[in-house]
Amino acid sequence: MRINQEKCIGCQLCGDYCPVGAIQYFQDGENPKTKKARIDEDECVECGVCFRAEVCQPQAIYRQEIQWPRSVRLAFSDPMVEHKQTGVPGRGTEEMKTNEVTGRFKRGSYGMAVEVGRPGVGGRLEDLEKIAMALAKIGVEFEPKNPVTFLFADVKSGKLKPEVRKEKVLSAIIEFLVRPEQLSPVLQAIKDISPKIDSVFSLDLISFPEESEKGPALKVVKKMGFPVYPNGKVNLGLGKILNK
Amino acid sequence: MTHTLHRTGELDTLREDFPMLTHVARGFNGQGAGPRLKKIAQTMTKHTDLHFGDCKVGNKYTMDPAEIMEKLTVGCQVVFKDKDSLIACMKELKEIDQGISIVVSGIFEEVFDCCQKAGLTPPLIEFALGVHGNTQKLWPAEILEFVTMCGHGLVSGRLVKKMVEDIKKKKSNVEKAAIELAKPCLCGIFNPDRAAKLLKKMVGQEKGL
Repeated sequence: MRINQEKCIGCQLCGDYCPVGAIQYFQDGENPKTKKARIDEDECVECGVCFRAEVCQPQAIYRQEIQWPRSVRLAFSDPMVEHKQTGVPGRGTEEMKTNEVTGRFKRGSYGMAVEVGRPGVGGRLEDLEKIAMALAKIGVEFEPKNPVTFLFADVKSGKLKPEVRKEKVLSAIIEFLVRPEQLSPVLQAIKDISPKIDSVFSLDLISFPEESEKGPALKVVKKMGFPVYPNGKVNLGLGKILNK
Repeated sequence: MTHTLHRTGELDTLREDFPMLTHVARGFNGQGAGPRLKKIAQTMTKHTDLHFGDCKVGNKYTMDPAEIMEKLTVGCQVVFKDKDSLIACMKELKEIDQGISIVVSGIFEEVFDCCQKAGLTPPLIEFALGVHGNTQKLWPAEILEFVTMCGHGLVSGRLVKKMVEDIKKKKSNVEKAAIELAKPCLCGIFNPDRAAKLLKKMVGQEKGL
């Protein structure tokens, strides 16, 4: 995103809408009493919130033409944009939301996700790469339809295409399947890599309803010192196959 | 993605916060799903008027809900503040049987109780296992309660602080501020009722409610 300096009147209404604090105010050379808004393009994740907020009366905020690799910022930050390079809309997949129809997750394995930059911080894809490489060493199966998977130069090692590593996004998700015997090593790898991450990341586990009682996965999770929130997502099981 | 997961806060406020989403399964029931999604959206919004939207289209605070319903192609979202409305909605969604997946987030014991009362058996669940990495960069807990109500991260912590300041300076009130915070959340899962209660607490107006 950019702000047309000739149109900006220095009202300073836009900055608070930016989720990553990329809008800053600078003294206007022509009028020292005015501080105009500018966007730090290295910090901007191209989420479009400032534009959609419609608080800019002179309509000085606009989206510039964006080329690869900056275009990954759009795909992983603005939910209204579909990413041509990855071919996958949005930041993640349908994951457990439609599982009663797709049968993607089956008993005998766990779905897991690591979302870099969430909540409310944003992050560089190089952080994601560190985590992906640690997970790849354990041999987890990365979800082929996840848009992050399209950014890997080598899906076996978790190494990203070099040109995207410094790109900053609101969040990007690594989705993967874990066999029961991999759960402890995966959690240990996440613990080990955590202090090396510049941003934050959230962690998820997809399983079956019986897991909420005394399931084996949560026993491992708790034993290894990970918190389990009392709230989460529940698929109601109302989906069906309708298109033959 | 996991956008209705990872909501944080005190249990008493989480007990009044149930985002619901519907989503097509591409390749299985997504083709020509518009009318089915519209029917689901009409049912959802009959039982809750707190928020409604879809990230590919927009939300009720930025465009006409009727227009949103006409444009749905993959899914939509609403949020509930109480179990009775949620159960009534679940029962009706089961009755209208549109064959598109529905997911509800919230405190597990509460959501399971609602499912049981609505005659539903959930096949799959998702747990949040915390936030890791450089957690010093996180907003303070009281701001995170707002920020985590938009899983796409579109609600700025700075805007929360600004809204608190505006209420204190009487430039706004809690209801208006809560709606302003709900606007950036395209999907419609940000709960303005919960936000209003949290804002009241932050500005010291919670007594006598």
